[in-house]
Amino acid sequence: MTTETDNEHPCLPGGLIALDQWSTPDVSVHKTLRAGLKDILEQLRSGLTPESEAFESLDDLPSLSANKLKRYAPEPDASALASAILEQLEALRQQGAHNREVSFVVAPPFSGVSDALLTLPVRIIEPPANLSMTEPDADRWWDEQLGDDDWVVPELANFWLRHRSGLNLLKSFFARVALDSTGRGIVACSSWCWQFWVRYWPEIHVNPLTPAPLDSGRLTGWLDFLARGGNGRSLTARMTNDGLYVLPPKADDSKEKYSCFAQDLANAARGNRGVAHAIWQRALRAQPEQDAEQGEGEASAGNTAECWVVPFDQLSLPGVPQGSGQQAGLVLHAILLHSQLTIESLERATGIANRELKLLLSRFLRADLIVQDEKTQAYRPTPLGYPAVRKYLQARGFPVDGF
Amino acid sequence: MEELGLKDALSTISSGAIIEAVAVVVLASLLIMAIQKLVPMLARKLSGKPRLYLLASVPLFRLVIIVLTIVMVVPILVEPSFENMLAIFGALALALGFAFKDYANSLIAGIVTLYEMPYRPGDWIEINGQYGEVRAIGTRAAEIVTLDDTVIVIPHGLLWNNLLANGNDGTDNLMCVAELYLEPNHDVARMRELFRDVIYTCPLTKTYQPVVVAVLGTDMGMKYRLKAYPLTPGDQTRFIAELTARAGEVCAAEEVKMISRPLLWQ
Repeated sequence: MTTETDNEHPCLPGGLIALDQWSTPDVSVHKTLRAGLKDILEQLRSGLTPESEAFESLDDLPSLSANKLKRYAPEPDASALASAILEQLEALRQQGAHNREVSFVVAPPFSGVSDALLTLPVRIIEPPANLSMTEPDADRWWDEQLGDDDWVVPELANFWLRHRSGLNLLKSFFARVALDSTGRGIVACSSWCWQFWVRYWPEIHVNPLTPAPLDSGRLTGWLDFLARGGNGRSLTARMTNDGLYVLPPKADDSKEKYSCFAQDLANAARGNRGVAHAIWQRALRAQPEQDAEQGEGEASAGNTAECWVVPFDQLSLPGVPQGSGQQAGLVLHAILLHSQLTIESLERATGIANRELKLLLSRFLRADLIVQDEKTQAYRPTPLGYPAVRKYLQARGFPVDGF
Repeated sequence: MEELGLKDALSTISSGAIIEAVAVVVLASLLIMAIQKLVPMLARKLSGKPRLYLLASVPLFRLVIIVLTIVMVVPILVEPSFENMLAIFGALALALGFAFKDYANSLIAGIVTLYEMPYRPGDWIEINGQYGEVRAIGTRAAEIVTLDDTVIVIPHGLLWNNLLANGNDGTDNLMCVAELYLEPNHDVARMRELFRDVIYTCPLTKTYQPVVVAVLGTDMGMKYRLKAYPLTPGDQTRFIAELTARAGEVCAAEEVKMISRPLLWQ
């Protein structure tokens, strides 16, 4: 269903695709087995090192300065991504591949789609303060929100609560979308929220789209695009252990030897751009012979900047505290289902007492698995902790997203 | 016994051979004990399929060790000629047939259990009215732990002529049913919808497995059965309790009364 080439949309490599076309980046049997064994060993070892869950780097090379990090691996431009999404939707409409009034973009956490939609110059529909509405109240609320003008819902996961009285708002919304009686809008929906609702209402047919997964090729292209940052200065990134290249992307006539870091990164992130970007930022190092702040001038002078990349096995990503019992899984799952939750909402969604929740949340905060939003006081997952959380939940039978 | 040639076969056994054979048997027993202790300990630290596979491997390990021990011990004690083997196994068959009939029955059923796998460690089974999780499968009997934490030893021989119900059959998917009776003359469709919401919003529900709300008109009222899968089989008691409590809240909010048998008899 993709319409554009990767080069035409460097901030949305692979474009938007149908949900059933999404697949994890290819990974060898050897690496799958190694990862499986590593998981089992980590679970077995958990009792021995209960507090070593937070991110740590196992090398002693100097990290990049904040300035250099901002230049070499800057945050993606949300407005550029929004434009790319709009262009893709328009192209799909012209092809006849997408003809719904409401466009659904289902994406895993940290995909950047929600932030991108917030930059669009259209009416943004924010969730109501009270999510526990009766059916008539929910209908009335949507009547007020959905008009003839264009609108966006930046994150549908914020419009419900996994509680018997917290479903009506989305029930009413999906019923309207099915009838195409909502005007023209774009909805971003977390893959976790989508996974719940597609099971709850298998009849939902809204033809959702999703950003294509980043395999190693797309990932290096995207990281290179970010590093260039519009000024055309490329970044050369090489491995600290063997000097093999990671960036710039391999050209057809290139004679340099390339590392498999990009492939490892794409696999570890399961093609998720936000997770890959967060790990990439942690993997970058200053040149071994310079410290973090030295060489700023030299780097800016040339047309090519250079930095180093730590091997994947020297990056210890955050892990879920294993001895937390089943309550830990319930809390993490609830946070992912709703993208973010305050402690009061968590209490309602999980049924866990406030005091116990505080203990669990403080443990997750220390382990870098979640962060608390200062403004809303809501807890949300971190991109570095997300792979471990997903794996943890999947191993314990929780329903996980398809991404 | 003499007709079988057992005397001749055993006459060559020396005291050194006996000590060697005993040492092998003791070593094998220690190895089996270590496996039976360590593997479940490791399995408890894991979750999902690795846990089930590891638990299921214990009886297989034991069988392999027993077979290997027999293969090693017999040549130590007697010369492995055709006549000697016939004598030993013939005598063994006689002894088992007469003296340890039931024991042999269970031993053979135990071997069949390992091959057919009607239950594995980690399975939730019901046999002869006893329901629980298979904790260990021994050579002669299996141990199950009931929901009330009582250990029940079930001889494998019971397999031959008893019905066995296996709730999860080697997987971690175990359907649970919460039952409740409601007073008739209410909006059944609405209650079914609300109970469905109850199941989906229960944090212990595996939402990717089927969810069913069945209803039946009985002489005791409208019988609702809320069927769903908990995250892990071990959650079943808590899961059913959660579903029942949440369904009770719905009934109270909808002003539909729940009924129970004692009330009916009044």
